[in-house]
Amino acid sequence: MSSHREAPEISKDPVADNTDVYAFVSPDDPETVTLIANYIPLEGPAGGPNFYEFGDDVLYEIHIDNDGDAVDDITYKFRFQTELRNPNTFLYNTGRINSLNDPNWNKRQFYSVTMMKDGDETVLAEALASPPCNIGPFSTPNYAALAQAAIHPLPTGEKVFAGQRAEGFYVDLGSVFDLIDLRPFQNLHLNPLPPAPGVNGTNRLNVHTIAIQVPKNMLTRDGSNPTDPKDPRSLIGVYASASRQKAKILEHNAGIKEAGPWVQVSRLGSPLFNEVMIPLGLKDLWNAQDPKNDKQFLTYVQHQEVAHLLTVFYPGIFPNLAAYTKARADMVAIFLTGLPAGIIPGFQNFTGATLADLLRLNMAIPPVKTPNILGILGGDLAGFPNGRRVFDDVFTIELRALAGVTIPLVDPSFKPDASASVVTDGLTPSNINSPFLASFPYLGVPYSGFDNPNA
Amino acid sequence: MTKLTRRSFLKQTSAGAATFSLLPAIPALAAISHSPEAARPELPAAFSGPMVVHVSDVAAGEITLLVDAREIVFRDPEIVARLIKAAR
Repeated sequence: MSSHREAPEISKDPVADNTDVYAFVSPDDPETVTLIANYIPLEGPAGGPNFYEFGDDVLYEIHIDNDGDAVDDITYKFRFQTELRNPNTFLYNTGRINSLNDPNWNKRQFYSVTMMKDGDETVLAEALASPPCNIGPFSTPNYAALAQAAIHPLPTGEKVFAGQRAEGFYVDLGSVFDLIDLRPFQNLHLNPLPPAPGVNGTNRLNVHTIAIQVPKNMLTRDGSNPTDPKDPRSLIGVYASASRQKAKILEHNAGIKEAGPWVQVSRLGSPLFNEVMIPLGLKDLWNAQDPKNDKQFLTYVQHQEVAHLLTVFYPGIFPNLAAYTKARADMVAIFLTGLPAGIIPGFQNFTGATLADLLRLNMAIPPVKTPNILGILGGDLAGFPNGRRVFDDVFTIELRALAGVTIPLVDPSFKPDASASVVTDGLTPSNINSPFLASFPYLGVPYSGFDNPNA
Repeated sequence: MTKLTRRSFLKQTSAGAATFSLLPAIPALAAISHSPEAARPELPAAFSGPMVVHVSDVAAGEITLLVDAREIVFRDPEIVARLIKAAR
């Protein structure tokens, strides 16, 4: 998955598990950038009576670096508080939920937004309401309107949303973890089977989303409006994280006490970074580190296990990749520094020599009217790895890059194998039942428990 | 040093630990905790906790206090020795 249950420790702590991060110039409001951090992987929509919610004991953060040192210049912090109206019922709701204040809604969640900039913390808003989970047609009959009411403008110009959404990351989990037995190509696999269409393993599942839309000039280092793709001031590096307090005490009366500084337990910039590049023994460490320390993981970016596995499980299909033994400078550029100018005409997202996993967005590249889900690989400079849009096919983009299609960007002597430019898990956004939205928060309406009881 | 029993130790350390976090000077803290008067120190009413005391490095006599969102590290081999003795 993108970063769902990707490391041993965080797989046991879903409330703090950062699953996906998106950063893109808002297509319907191109003077703004939308930043999205998802948490809580693979929510079964029918998971009552304690439907999914953010952790009151978790610090959620979206970090923005705007001067290339891989250290936060702006951080948005989100803290949640759950309110139980009636502790004498087991029900999440005792009737229809028609509004965010509906007395039938028993277990509500509110949150605060704090911005840290230049070392100063400013509380931007408190007691903002999250929407309920999507229960079903009797409990939440007009869910889209409920969620719309939970989009809050901030006095400083941003707007925020925090609540349940349909999972937007599409991937054939079943085939990927069956030793990369990609269904459309499984006739070529070491364990051959007839080719078949891909199956979206995350379809009809939900996540919890924190989304914030920010005017571009609030993100640049000097308050300028980014218009020149070549200007370093047009670039930001983004990652999200979750932290818990250092100590937790469980008491015999079911009380819980927590104390100490916040300790990062999950982080995410580029999709699939910790998931498939970092070995099992280091994944928990990776989650605890800040991106500025990612030099220690350089060797795993230079020498990709997935690239090797493709040559093993698809014998004879990737001969040029199999023969390529150099360190993968293309991977280092894509994931750790950004792509310098002069490699792809009209584009760069090079943030400097500091090696750091960040989602790098060139804010001066405008949205396109007909996006290509393969992003830059498909000739669409507004897509991944220039930031990441909700519909980008990051699995296929990264799979093809790992298979060698991006090596010529830095090593023109390499000729990619013919298969590298067509390999895929066979999925597109059409494999998602709840479609993406054209406006904030862009991820689709969450699946209801009633309509998706077996998801 | 006062004679240590398990009961008196627990009484002293639970009260003493709450005092520690509010004392600005760590050396003074050590002195108070070992004096006979420390058995029943006056507790500041404002403190509500929780506080976690972590012996973070036994060999160095290092103690870490976790209180609110803060972490306070100091060294006091004598307190560490008494804690270890009580844990047996």
